[in-house]
Amino acid sequence: MTPLIQFQQVSKVYGMGNTEVHALWQVDLTISRGEYCAIMGPSGSGKSTAMNVIGCLDRPTSGSYYFDGENVAALDDTALTHIRNRKIGFVFQQFHLLPQLTALENVMLPMVYAGVPAAERRDRATRALQQVGLGDRIVNKPTQLSGGQQQRVAIARAIVNCPLLILADEPTGALDSHTTQEVLTIFEELHQSGITVVMVTHEPEVAKHTQRIVWFRDGQVIEPHLNPKDIGALTAPA
Amino acid sequence: MDFTESLQMAVKTLTANKLRSSLTMLGIIIGNASVIAMVGIGEGAQKYINEQLQTLGPNVLFIVPGNRQTRELGGLEIPRTLVVADADAIQAQVPTVVGVAPEFSSRDLIVFRNRSANASVVGTNEQFLTVRSFEMAQGRFLSKLDLDRHSQVAVLGATLAERLFDQTPPIGQSIRIRGASFEIVGIMARKGSNLGLDYDDAVILPITTQASRLVGQRQSPYGIEVAFISVSAESRESMSRAEFQITNLLRLRHNIRDEDDFFIQSQDTLLNIAGTITGALTVMLAAIAGISLLVGGIGIMNIMLVSVRERTQEIGLRKAIGASQQDILAQFLIEAIILSIAGGIVGTGLGISGILVISTLTPFEAGVSMGAIAIAVGVSGGIGLFFGVFPARQAAKLDPIVALRTA
Repeated sequence: MTPLIQFQQVSKVYGMGNTEVHALWQVDLTISRGEYCAIMGPSGSGKSTAMNVIGCLDRPTSGSYYFDGENVAALDDTALTHIRNRKIGFVFQQFHLLPQLTALENVMLPMVYAGVPAAERRDRATRALQQVGLGDRIVNKPTQLSGGQQQRVAIARAIVNCPLLILADEPTGALDSHTTQEVLTIFEELHQSGITVVMVTHEPEVAKHTQRIVWFRDGQVIEPHLNPKDIGALTAPA
Repeated sequence: MDFTESLQMAVKTLTANKLRSSLTMLGIIIGNASVIAMVGIGEGAQKYINEQLQTLGPNVLFIVPGNRQTRELGGLEIPRTLVVADADAIQAQVPTVVGVAPEFSSRDLIVFRNRSANASVVGTNEQFLTVRSFEMAQGRFLSKLDLDRHSQVAVLGATLAERLFDQTPPIGQSIRIRGASFEIVGIMARKGSNLGLDYDDAVILPITTQASRLVGQRQSPYGIEVAFISVSAESRESMSRAEFQITNLLRLRHNIRDEDDFFIQSQDTLLNIAGTITGALTVMLAAIAGISLLVGGIGIMNIMLVSVRERTQEIGLRKAIGASQQDILAQFLIEAIILSIAGGIVGTGLGISGILVISTLTPFEAGVSMGAIAIAVGVSGGIGLFFGVFPARQAAKLDPIVALRTA
């Protein structure tokens, strides 16, 4: 079976000429299906850029990126949009729920763009909300929900189109330790159900719950298979 | 994402921000209301003037002294060459003419016993009634005999009869004008004022009597001077022939070599002139209103641009989770179009109410024109589309990464 995520000599360059910035430099990285891994690294290490490329929000400047066996670098915007819609579920630090919509409507949104029939949408969205433990909050607007609840709505939105990958960017960055735990439990459940979960974080406490840590620095992967148990080593990376 | 869904989404977004949505619509509302009201008023004015002209009488030509130039320049002495004898000659010699009524009018004090009223005194002949399509309410009109004999008889307009006589039956009573006394022989039916001439508030005398008893010193060396002569032609078709024949006859009678000292106006030319004026008026009003509609459209563009900026994160998120450029474009376009069409409909309602108010306050029968409504609503939709495209494209082109990162 092909790996879900495969970087081959991926570089991402911003700017031109003298002001060129190499956000990623000839990165090779493979994440298999079903893995639960964290991407870590100091600010400016390229982990955000890597996440954008993994999430098909951005294309590499050079090199190839295979997602689910497809070379993303060769696809146009419409095809990327399609992949994001069907195969990837995004979870953001700031939740990014639409304030004018209810929890249910927020969760239905990806299906709206996927062209799922209206009746089925409501059904699937309700089930997704039940799955994250918010079956009783479907008519609430985001402002009527706590931060943890909002993030769970966002997770429900991420999983509702049955994606191959959950891509989470600092998903616990805006949460307290208790709700962080709730969210991590849900990720663990998703991982158990076979979904690949990739999470960008700078909190070792959070990264500890994953199976594998990919350590970025200066636009390169310097440690592709760090064991979360050796988390102590992170404080003094090579 | 299909259309009804985009529509629902847009409505939800717009209703979530009611104040802004209604303020945005305000420009379009005002623009639309003014287009409809202005066009309605313009058309009403046109209709009013047309009706006024129609009441002048069918197939009527007016012969007025002076040529186009002397009339237009003003200040110049209008020649006093058009006389009652011309009217008689037209009657006798122009075959396509069925009736001729010369008119001369002044304002004088009309006295009945201890009451008096200032009113027009119109001298004319017995054909006035038919040529100008008036009807009698009581008694009789002037007769040929009255004219020949310079009889001191008078016919009253309905308004003047009320003002002077109150309860007394007027027929058979005598009124005094400048010391001469006249017997009332009839009262005309009310017709309403007409291009500033109100025959309801007038007394009609034989023009011969008027000339000898009242005008006296204003006698022209050519005969009994008239202000104008109304001529009714046999039929609508014969009007141009009548005009031609009258022109020739009068040129001959007035010994004209180069420039005419009279001018013939038909109801048609009056209608045309009035039509041109009111048409220009309507266009001008519509243009002014159109500008406000345009300003409303720019308002929509403005607000939509602000809205794109403000909803950058939303746009980024929608793109991240699967909205295509077309989806985003459609979303913002539909919002703009809904705003402008809703504004258009509300504005139309306001415009119609404005027209109804104006109709009750003025003599204009301001019409609610279906065409104007269709155009206004269509145009406002078009404005929404036109001014919505730019902001919508801005939104669609946003890079989701940048958009999501925007705080």
